[in-house]
Amino acid sequence: MSEWLRIDAVQKTVDEFRLGPIDLMIEPGTITVIAGMNGSGKSTLLKLIMGLAKLDHGRIIVGGKPVGGADEDWKQHITYVPQKLIGWDPYTGEALKGLIAPLYGGWDEELFQKIIKSFNIPLSKRFGKMSPGLQQKLALALALPRGTRLMILDEPMNSLDIPSRKGLTDLLADWMEVEERAILMTSHQVEDIRKLADFIFLMQNGETLGHYEKEQLTESYRRYWIDRMPDGEIPEELARGHMDVVTAMPEAAEQYFEKHGINVMDQSGIELEEIISYLLDQKPLRRVSGIEVPDTKVPDTKVPDPKVPDPKVPDTQKKG
Amino acid sequence: MLPIRLSKESREPIYHQVEQQLKALIAGGHLAPGMPLPSIRALSKDLGISVITIRRSYQNLEAQEFIETIHGKGTFVAETKKGMMEQVKISSVYESFEQAIQNARNYDYTEQEIEQIFREVMKGEEGQ
Repeated sequence: MSEWLRIDAVQKTVDEFRLGPIDLMIEPGTITVIAGMNGSGKSTLLKLIMGLAKLDHGRIIVGGKPVGGADEDWKQHITYVPQKLIGWDPYTGEALKGLIAPLYGGWDEELFQKIIKSFNIPLSKRFGKMSPGLQQKLALALALPRGTRLMILDEPMNSLDIPSRKGLTDLLADWMEVEERAILMTSHQVEDIRKLADFIFLMQNGETLGHYEKEQLTESYRRYWIDRMPDGEIPEELARGHMDVVTAMPEAAEQYFEKHGINVMDQSGIELEEIISYLLDQKPLRRVSGIEVPDTKVPDTKVPDPKVPDPKVPDTQKKG
Repeated sequence: MLPIRLSKESREPIYHQVEQQLKALIAGGHLAPGMPLPSIRALSKDLGISVITIRRSYQNLEAQEFIETIHGKGTFVAETKKGMMEQVKISSVYESFEQAIQNARNYDYTEQEIEQIFREVMKGEEGQ
């Protein structure tokens, strides 16, 4: 199949909120996690992929067919688990399975039974009477066995307890063992991104902030502990403490240290959580005496400004 | 789960760290010929790194004939030539010595002093 999932210059305005233009390609064999703050447009994007709202501009191709077109063949290639399932409340798990399973020729009953057992899901209970965590587990138990090529999950870990999160992580990794499958999911949990994501798609205010391969991201940020803090900013400086600086350009920073006679005492990579926070925060934080003060300078991370001599910010400019 | 530990401190790229550690496990006999390796997706989940990175490590190991992939069955430790194993062992020990010597030089130890330390460490080992 040539075009699995391709999002081309998609735009949508809902009341005051503007989404896009968004471009995104999903390759078979990969898991992409969409991350961003609340209200960044993650769920809206997923709904557009499912054809649940009309596009203002652009197009979405699933399995070679445009979403919203006359040919609805694409729907059988895709499974979507939204955050809230509408219309399921009066049915028991058993009844829901009876409605869903026959729609999918590749229904994997063995996998369904395995998930029901490992998550302890009572099939005779009505969906509406279940706790949010149990509802989520049943929704996933009714999603994974469909065996579609694409799985779209909106916050699948949200109401799950810790063992169930691990259980679902393992299930999703196992589900990906079959060739020619892909997952696109949203998450606020760094642990999901760490364990499952191959690609991270960051969104902010309805726009694309970046699309990264995971190690491309983690390998391009570094923290250095140095013996003397320079007056000017180091290349691509994101934060500094009493003894440490964080950069998004390790090679350039190392050259800078050498040129200015600064000794590096230690160095380390940076956790994904911190990197994503820097990217979503945009405002580089400078720590002054342990107090976090937003940088008042307009952040232009491409061109480090050597003319910022003092990390101290006057009291009048402090916010928060 | 394989005993692979990735270093955040090291500047060595992640794919290379995975590759080197798998090589060491194979050369050290901890992973015997014919033993199955985890799938790319399973190792990706265990180590928290992308399948793109793991695939790169596996491809490099395959090119060097440490592992082989049988389509539809998975990836296995290959029947490695003895010479290659020796090579890995030697270069791994060399690397450790080089690091230790570099460390001593950073503290301005002389060659004689480094040799002295080496002999003392050897003696201590024998005494145990």
